[in-house]
Amino acid sequence: MAEPETNARRIAEDARDRVRFEEEVLELSDQVYRVARRLVPSREEAEDLVQDTYARAFRSWRSYTPGTNLRAWLMRILTNLNIDRGRREQRTPDMRPMEEGDYFLYNRLEEAGGSGDEQQIVERLSQDGIVRALSSVPHDFRDAIVLVDIGDFSYGEAAQILDIPIGTVMSRLHRGRRILKSQLAETAVGEEA
Amino acid sequence: MGFESVCEQCEEMLQPYLDRELNEAERQQAEGHLDQCGYCRKRYRFEEDLRRYVRSACDEPMRAELKAKLASLRTPLD
Repeated sequence: MAEPETNARRIAEDARDRVRFEEEVLELSDQVYRVARRLVPSREEAEDLVQDTYARAFRSWRSYTPGTNLRAWLMRILTNLNIDRGRREQRTPDMRPMEEGDYFLYNRLEEAGGSGDEQQIVERLSQDGIVRALSSVPHDFRDAIVLVDIGDFSYGEAAQILDIPIGTVMSRLHRGRRILKSQLAETAVGEEA
Repeated sequence: MGFESVCEQCEEMLQPYLDRELNEAERQQAEGHLDQCGYCRKRYRFEEDLRRYVRSACDEPMRAELKAKLASLRTPLD
C-alpha cells in the first residue's frame, strides 16, 4: 500500500542528492582548473582534462560518499585521467635539473644586485619565468608542488590523491621546491619582472 | 658548533618550518636562531614571499566558456 509512495520518495531524494552533488562539484571548478592548468602544458589540455573530469564525476556521483572530501575526490579523478592520457610516457627521469639548497635562489638574486626594497626582492623574478620554471620540474615533483602550493591541499590529501605515502609527498615537495628554485635561478633571474 | 653550521641547520629546517611540520623542540631551535640571525631571517622571509609569488604567477582564471560547458555536462532533470 505504502510502497509506491516510498519508491517515489526515494526517487525524489535521489534526484535531490544528485543536484546537490552537481552544484557542489561545479562550485569547485575554479580550484580544479587552477591545479589542472599547472599539471599539463597548455590551456587547451587543461580545459580538456577538466571537462573529462567533470563528465566522469557526474557519471560516477554515486561512488562519492557525502560528507567526505569532495575536492580531493575530484582531484583524484583528474590526476588518474591525466595519467591515463599517457603523460607518464613523457617522463624523462635522467634529466633532473641540478638541485641546490634552500637559500640558493635568494643568494643568486642578491648577487645579481639591482636596486629596490629588500622586501621586494622576489619581484626580481619574472612571472613568466616562474611559470616556465614550474613546467620544467619533473612530473612527480611538480604534482606535489601543484597540489600543495597551488591547490592548497594538505600533505595527507595530496597523498590520497596521488596514491602515495605521505612521507613520499613530503620528500617530493621538498625536493621539487628546491628544483624549482634552481630552475628559477638559472632562467628567471635578470629577466624583466 | 660554528655559526656556519647553525645556519646550515636552519636552512634545512626552512621548508618544514613554513609547512609547520617541525616538532616543538625543532621549532624553538629554528626560532631561537632566527631571532639572532638576520642572514637566515631574510631568507626565510624570502621563501614566504616566493610561495605567494609563485601562486599568483600561476593563477590563470578559467574561461567563462569552460565554466558554461561544465554546467552543460550536468545530468538533465526529467
